[in-house]
Amino acid sequence: MDGGAAGALCCGRCGGPAAAARAARRQRFRAAVFARPGGDLSAAGSARRTARGATAARAATPGRAGGAGEATGGAAHFRAVTGTLLDISPHILVVATDAGEQRFALTAGAAVWHGGAVHATELRPGERVVARLAPGRKDVADKVWAGIGRVAGTISESGAGQLTVAEGTSRTQAVVIAPAAANRIRVRFPHLEPGNLIDLIGLRHGAVLEALVPATSQPAYLASRLTRVPAVVKTAAGTFSGSATWHEPAGPGEEPRGVAYPAIDPAAGCAEAALAAPCPAELPYLAVGSMVSVRNDCTGAARVLPVTSCGAAARLFHDRCLNCGTSPRGRVADLTLASFVELGGDPERACFNATIAVRP
Amino acid sequence: MTFARSAEQMQIPLLALVLLGACAAKMSRVIRARSIVVVLDATSLFPPRLRRAATMAVCFTELCLGAGILATSGRAWLGWADGVRLATALFFLIAMCAIVELREFRPGVGCGCFGELSSAPPGPRSVLRAALLAAAALVSLHGGELTLPPAGPTAALDLGILMAEFLLVAALSPEVGEVLARLGYTEPCEVRAAPPQRAITSLRRSRAWRCHATLAPAEKPADMWRELCWWYLVYPGRDGAGECDIVFAVEVRPRRPAIRAAVVPRPTGPPPEGAPARPREAAAEGVSPAF
Repeated sequence: MDGGAAGALCCGRCGGPAAAARAARRQRFRAAVFARPGGDLSAAGSARRTARGATAARAATPGRAGGAGEATGGAAHFRAVTGTLLDISPHILVVATDAGEQRFALTAGAAVWHGGAVHATELRPGERVVARLAPGRKDVADKVWAGIGRVAGTISESGAGQLTVAEGTSRTQAVVIAPAAANRIRVRFPHLEPGNLIDLIGLRHGAVLEALVPATSQPAYLASRLTRVPAVVKTAAGTFSGSATWHEPAGPGEEPRGVAYPAIDPAAGCAEAALAAPCPAELPYLAVGSMVSVRNDCTGAARVLPVTSCGAAARLFHDRCLNCGTSPRGRVADLTLASFVELGGDPERACFNATIAVRP
Repeated sequence: MTFARSAEQMQIPLLALVLLGACAAKMSRVIRARSIVVVLDATSLFPPRLRRAATMAVCFTELCLGAGILATSGRAWLGWADGVRLATALFFLIAMCAIVELREFRPGVGCGCFGELSSAPPGPRSVLRAALLAAAALVSLHGGELTLPPAGPTAALDLGILMAEFLLVAALSPEVGEVLARLGYTEPCEVRAAPPQRAITSLRRSRAWRCHATLAPAEKPADMWRELCWWYLVYPGRDGAGECDIVFAVEVRPRRPAIRAAVVPRPTGPPPEGAPARPREAAAEGVSPAF
């Protein structure tokens, strides 16, 4: 039994063949139980749905639901490639990916991030890179991030510019604050004592993150004093909007594309989420394996992605995203790095305003 | 002259109501959460070590000013009235400046003026409201004792001014939309917490369960998950063709939930990833309009 009737379900950044098979199996069962002989899965209910002002979840038709990672919407469709840097020149990028060695041409204006804007030749082989491909091109990269990492969670230990941060209950991260960025980070995160929340972006050096950029401002509350934001669910045409952030893959087994969703049903349990942490806002309950459509309100890019984890860190923050306007609510999705980039987000900017639609 | 006098006097109930309402909204949130930390947003411009004290000071000031305005509107403490009203004007001017600063330096944080109702980042309306209330407090200076007007045109004028000002303050308050939404709010099923045991109990009592009893479903579900308004339960079983999975969907509803069922044959070989299975049987029981 993957998730007992009342037992805990480990949904911590589910990855690997077993998790993918479980998600596919659940989709299959869901489709089967709502199938009607010779009919569309939801056609019979559509009229009633319209009349009753159905929510997002009900608005989409399962028969038309796209597969994971399917791009939707009329905006530019980005693709992202993650891998290990093998070689780089001012014009060519060579990356070792799961599919083998791949070569990409760098556009004249291609930006390269490695703790800040750098020249392409400053990168060294062996770096973990994420490259965003130019829209409509399979072999041209227009932006590259090397060694980027992020840690968001509760400080569990601190001292002398070094922090240990708990991301949920099952994962801890070591952070070293870069001396050059210390003042900048202390302005946004004045309290670096245990129990306070922190969200930092920086360069990944093995198991340690060298923090360079504060991803948000420190919330006024301690992680242990988190309360539910009593926001009324406001769905417009069956969707809800908020801030979409990103997280690093927990390991090689994690699905490269997906969403850590902060409102996995609490009765199902979640190994990563602190039990005391309520959902940041009232969001529809979903399960690991549910499909959601995520649209970047800043670029218009949209994709259908599976829920792969419970978004333990996203539950802790009630902040708003301030890119291209203020997001109407806090964090509604914590995307994997590849998905975030493919939706047109810039990881060093921490978030984008997103609109989510649940696809049953 | 009568209009000016009425305008001066009608600021008193308006200011008292706003101040006491703001204090009550903050305190109700503190009492429910049993911690003052939940209303620290209102003082997020202060250094963190001062926020708790600043929040308590703001609440206390609102309470004192609100009660003071009411107390000094009578004859007993009339001598203190102008001082209290001047302090109120100063308070709202400071509040206006604080909101302007908040919009500049912490644009993602709500002002917390009315507790949890003010969780959205403040806009220009919030600034205007604080300015209007400061102006109202200044207008009320030298307003003298608050007296009941004689029935007739004077009373109608007083009432009209009061109503107009309330409407103006409401129009400048983003919290009103939140209040109206809550008044007409019923929790949708997709955000309603529902214990899984209730779904199992409902299922065991249902006709769908009895119809599939011949397939010998196991005692415990092999998989169970909640998605939107439905609990899904999967039981392993056997039919004439071999092993199968019996899938039940139980609606999240306190009474008489809709229950659907399907029997899905186990794939003999490795199934194609994500390919939907063709159900061999599907049954519905009171299908919910939710789907």
